[in-house]
Amino acid sequence: MERIILDVDSAGDDILAILFSAGCADIKLEGVTTVAGAAGGIEQVTNVVLNTLTLAGRNDIPVAAGAYRPIVGNAKADMEAPVHFEKQLQARFGDRLQGFNPPAPEPACKAMGKHAIDFIVDTVRANPGEVSIVATGPQTNVALALQMAPDIARLVKQIVVLGGCFQTPGNMTPVSEYNIWADPEAARVVLRSGAPVILVPLDVCEDNRVAASMLTRDDLNDLASLYPASKAVSYVCETFPIYIDIWREFFELVGFPLDDAIAVVAVLHPEFFEMTEPLFVDVALSERLVRGQTVAFQGRQILPFSGPKTTRVCRNLDGRKFLSLFKNSIGSLS
Amino acid sequence: MSKTVKTIPVLMDCDPGHDDAIALVMAHRSPVIDLLGVTTVCGNAPPERTTSNALRIMQFIDATDVPVAQGCVTPLARPLVLGTADGPTGLDGTTYLPEATMPLVPMHGVDFIAKILREAPEPVVLVPTGPLTNIAMFLLKYPELKHKIDKIVLMGGAFYRRTEYITPTEFNIFCDPEAARIVLDSGLDIIMVGLDVTMHVLVEEEQFAELRKIESPLGKVVLDWLKFYEKLHRGQMGVGGALHDPLALAVVIDPTLIETREAHVEIDLTGTYTFGATVADFWNERKLGNNTRIATRVDSGRFFELMYSLLRD
Repeated sequence: MERIILDVDSAGDDILAILFSAGCADIKLEGVTTVAGAAGGIEQVTNVVLNTLTLAGRNDIPVAAGAYRPIVGNAKADMEAPVHFEKQLQARFGDRLQGFNPPAPEPACKAMGKHAIDFIVDTVRANPGEVSIVATGPQTNVALALQMAPDIARLVKQIVVLGGCFQTPGNMTPVSEYNIWADPEAARVVLRSGAPVILVPLDVCEDNRVAASMLTRDDLNDLASLYPASKAVSYVCETFPIYIDIWREFFELVGFPLDDAIAVVAVLHPEFFEMTEPLFVDVALSERLVRGQTVAFQGRQILPFSGPKTTRVCRNLDGRKFLSLFKNSIGSLS
Repeated sequence: MSKTVKTIPVLMDCDPGHDDAIALVMAHRSPVIDLLGVTTVCGNAPPERTTSNALRIMQFIDATDVPVAQGCVTPLARPLVLGTADGPTGLDGTTYLPEATMPLVPMHGVDFIAKILREAPEPVVLVPTGPLTNIAMFLLKYPELKHKIDKIVLMGGAFYRRTEYITPTEFNIFCDPEAARIVLDSGLDIIMVGLDVTMHVLVEEEQFAELRKIESPLGKVVLDWLKFYEKLHRGQMGVGGALHDPLALAVVIDPTLIETREAHVEIDLTGTYTFGATVADFWNERKLGNNTRIATRVDSGRFFELMYSLLRD
């Protein structure tokens, strides 16, 4: 049984990661914390989480709202670029896009009155060596928790950071992936904190090398026929065809990549992955072109750089094993 | 100063530091300031030193009723680079204040700022005299309490306007530039009391002569601090000891001590030679609107009069 805090920014794959974690028998979800990011402002992100847990019948899981902005962020126009990208999609997909990241309806229950930073610090301190943090959005909450309580770097079991890219081109710049790009200073704090980190980059999520891990219409058909009574499954089958189409057409992937659920599985089944030995991984903070680039120190260099060798970078994934576990867990929800 | 002036609720966030220490003394002794609390941050010295210094100072001046809480122990997003203006303990000199017995508030400084603001009936003036880490963390974590800040009068920045530096880089901003950026982004009323004015309130022979006239134990300790501080400054910069933090505090008591000019200020986070520099757009060329008031001139004579009067019994 793995005890996990899931820190999310509520994009489509975050929703699936929440459903997966709520349904997976081997996970004890300690709580879900939220951060402003891909799906918009902190209220929208938090409402999506609350609604998703209601759908999963798991409103017993605490939800704590977190950072409403990154530490530094990026130029306003760049931060808003994903919105313009969505408009582009609208032109192509028209009305069908209504199901893509829609405004969340008023949730049936509330987030706890505690800030995500405090929830992370208190939960990790109360359970030394027991709790893993899986952060699938910008790293703001985790960084601020480590800043206010540096001792949790020793107490956390591990931190899974979903983000970065190495061989696979980035989605914000050719070398930067959104989560790291959106708060590079925060990612740097996490990677330099001394805590054990597993970095799950685009290379093992959004690359056709790991095509077997992606959600396709065939998978939706399987789910629908295997679990006809599950509300969660019918929600997934109604909501995600549009995501599959967008990722096929715009990103040329064979299906919808399940990045955030893959990050959760890195805690549960590290053996599904090929990972490096622990490395020092840093983040470029400098100019626009390379801001948010993840740099893993491997091989030998002439110039000296130093930082903690604490990050294992995922290099490959057994997509079939992952997807099969994913489908079984979603199917087990009522 | 007339006693009829309305009391100003103030929270000081500092990294004592000799000049922070004097600012704390002045705040506690001022009849117009209601000192609600003190939070500490790393900067001039490591966090355990600045905290212990704050407690010693408060105890020495019988201000044990003012709660002290320890804040952030590193800058927001980078390792601590220590200041050099105050010696390794942050409060070097010949007179050592006794170890404090007053307790620290058992709460993180950032959460303590939130508690003070939440409970305050009126908006509070924040006076940060160290790196802006705690204030930035507060703004990130408690956006809902921003309206309880009346204004921020901070010691920080350099703008090239009246003195010359190698770059417009000042330590408090340089030490945590990301934090400074967050504070400047906040939309709050901010007065930056920077090197342009603080380098004009220098302790030299004339000021020492006045300070020697204050014969109380407090006067002697302040004189001792300033002797050490002045000597270190003269060695580093060739001028007397600049009373950076006392000036920021004095501006809260008497805003007419300085002249200000509005501008949009950005912090350089990537420069090679200008890292941490405060870059002011006085002409609104970048069309970003003003985000702060910069202190451009100071009436140093009146500042020193105010300081002496607060240090006298």
